[in-house]
Amino acid sequence: MSSNPAPAGIRPPSSPQVAVVSAEGNLSAAVCREAKALSPHIFPQSLPARVLIKPNLCDIVAWENGVTTDPAWLRILASELRSIRPDVKIAVIESDAIGAYKTYRSCDETYQRLGYIDAARNAGAELINLSKAGSLDIRVPELPFPMTIPEMFLEEFFFISVANLKVHPYEHMTGILKNSLGLLPVADISHYHPYLATVISTLHRLCPPDLCIIDGRIGLEGKGPIQGDPVRTNTIILSNDALAADLAACRLMTIAPQTVPHLRQTLKDLTRSYDDFAVAGELRPHKFTFDQQQLHPEILAKFRNRRLHRQSEIFTNRWISRFFRFKQEPITFLTGAIPKLARRVYGSR
Amino acid sequence: MALDRLRIGVVGAGPVAEKYHLGAIRGVPEVFAEYVVDVDGQRAEKFATRNGFRRFGASHQEMIGAVDIAIVALPNHLHAPVSIDLLSQGIHVLCEKPMARTPAECQTMVDAASRSGALLAIGHNRRFRDHLRLAKNLYDRGYIGEITEIQAEEGSVADWQRSAAYFDPQRSGGGSLMDVGIHAIDLIRWIAGEFQEVQYTGNQTPTVVESEAEMTFRMENGATGKVIASRTRELAQRLLLRGTQGFIEAGLWSDMLRVRCEKGKASRHFRHLEAYVSRRPPADSSFVDQLLNLVRAIRGQEPLLVDGRAGMEAVDVVWRAYGHQPAVVTAQSAATGGHFMSVLTREKL
Repeated sequence: MSSNPAPAGIRPPSSPQVAVVSAEGNLSAAVCREAKALSPHIFPQSLPARVLIKPNLCDIVAWENGVTTDPAWLRILASELRSIRPDVKIAVIESDAIGAYKTYRSCDETYQRLGYIDAARNAGAELINLSKAGSLDIRVPELPFPMTIPEMFLEEFFFISVANLKVHPYEHMTGILKNSLGLLPVADISHYHPYLATVISTLHRLCPPDLCIIDGRIGLEGKGPIQGDPVRTNTIILSNDALAADLAACRLMTIAPQTVPHLRQTLKDLTRSYDDFAVAGELRPHKFTFDQQQLHPEILAKFRNRRLHRQSEIFTNRWISRFFRFKQEPITFLTGAIPKLARRVYGSR
Repeated sequence: MALDRLRIGVVGAGPVAEKYHLGAIRGVPEVFAEYVVDVDGQRAEKFATRNGFRRFGASHQEMIGAVDIAIVALPNHLHAPVSIDLLSQGIHVLCEKPMARTPAECQTMVDAASRSGALLAIGHNRRFRDHLRLAKNLYDRGYIGEITEIQAEEGSVADWQRSAAYFDPQRSGGGSLMDVGIHAIDLIRWIAGEFQEVQYTGNQTPTVVESEAEMTFRMENGATGKVIASRTRELAQRLLLRGTQGFIEAGLWSDMLRVRCEKGKASRHFRHLEAYVSRRPPADSSFVDQLLNLVRAIRGQEPLLVDGRAGMEAVDVVWRAYGHQPAVVTAQSAATGGHFMSVLTREKL
């Protein structure tokens, strides 16, 4: 995979905008109105034919617990999007997941039990299970295995990420960037965990959200991102930039962004700085507590060993194969090998 | 449940059969190795003994009635007469590429197959490579728009001991374009449609086929392009399809597949994606899949991916390309069955 160094017109705005809106209880269209009043550039002026909305549905837990995204967002967003483009096609995307206690959660079941089927019907939106849609394996240089991504990354669409405000034992916080892990079509993503920062940064570059919403009305602290305790901040963060939204969320949660590995990695990959955003609205910090843990050192060691083992195996097999080829047919081997060696030696000069 | 296995025979116990088809026979349990024939009886015996074939012989006539499928891996001038003999007896044939030296020879093979009802498959195995299937799939789904430009190059210093038939225009029907370039021609036809105009330059003489060939062309859909085939140079071994909205670049020897869709979300930060099709070893199972496709087609389970007509169309493109050059095998000589009696003419088609 090759990075674009400086393609014209695709860099994030010079000063990404963040709007902080106070909200309590049920969602209403007033949230969008207030955000637009605070920062008019957050919502787009025009839309492509298709909009994809990615909620955070990491487990089957009601949204009031701060774990998943409130399905009411579909109605609010659909109304807002259709005011910009009436014929826009809206779809909700999520994948199967491994929930708490290593339980397999089918995305279809999650949609049904969390009320997304009704919400989507009312909003005129389609529900897509990415685990059942087309996928593509890509090579990422930093990963020892291919990364499976949805094939729809090759298509044109406006992407809205609606995340929750949660803590995480290894990543410290989860917001917009971490929400993109749900784009991976595979349910069990444990093998990605030793490389979480790289995977999240890559996913962000593969599918950067155009509108980011962190619903912090009810956040999650303690044993996040699934088994924690709800905490009310009555705050919703909206932004046109994922990094800006997450950095604002860090400020809200009083977590130093430098301690969040995936934020560090993404900022580095995009050559951005920690204060590269402007906040409109009042950001009242809340102290989020959480159980900090080390990043799976045993899993990391396992994958590193496997990689080393594979490399050494390839090297050994190559020389064993050469030896037996030479032993079986020395003349043929040498007539093939000598010109190759000569080309390598003289060709490089 | 007992397996209804098909008896398979190999005509020509040379390096192509040994290096490619033997592994395929082992990898398809629906067939079992019954017969191997070679004009060199000792070689057939050695091949049969070493590789578990039940019987061996010196002529393909001997295997009539003893096999259900025959793999024809002979010099090009023998493809048509041997295949016709076998097809006429109701034996399904998998004939190596190029199908024959001329479209007229190909037509006689197709006619023989349609008369007897036996299936004729042509060994354009590249179509069975996973990453090339994916490339076609991505193109078919419109990810790169309409194709405007095609480039294919394949060439290396010969990697095994070639018989004199390879270099004799009477017996081979052509040089690097017919032997190597025909793979790319078949792939281009398969993915992008039919060739309209072709022009060719090569370094052949009346007695020796070309080692360097360059074919420029225009497709029926308006796309233009070039196929370069060489037996003396290491080339990039790639197929590039440039479209109105991106490109697909595929390795012809490796499993490399680069994709860029201009409008795609992933193109905002990446020049291209390196797509990857993960599967169990061997990485190149195209010969296995090719044989399996024939077996399934015989059983009516799926259509034949490369039938005689497809093989003939590819030969026709090469034939048309050579038509601009003096040294070609005439259709009249081809109609004789190709028994070393073809004559070179200097007439243009």
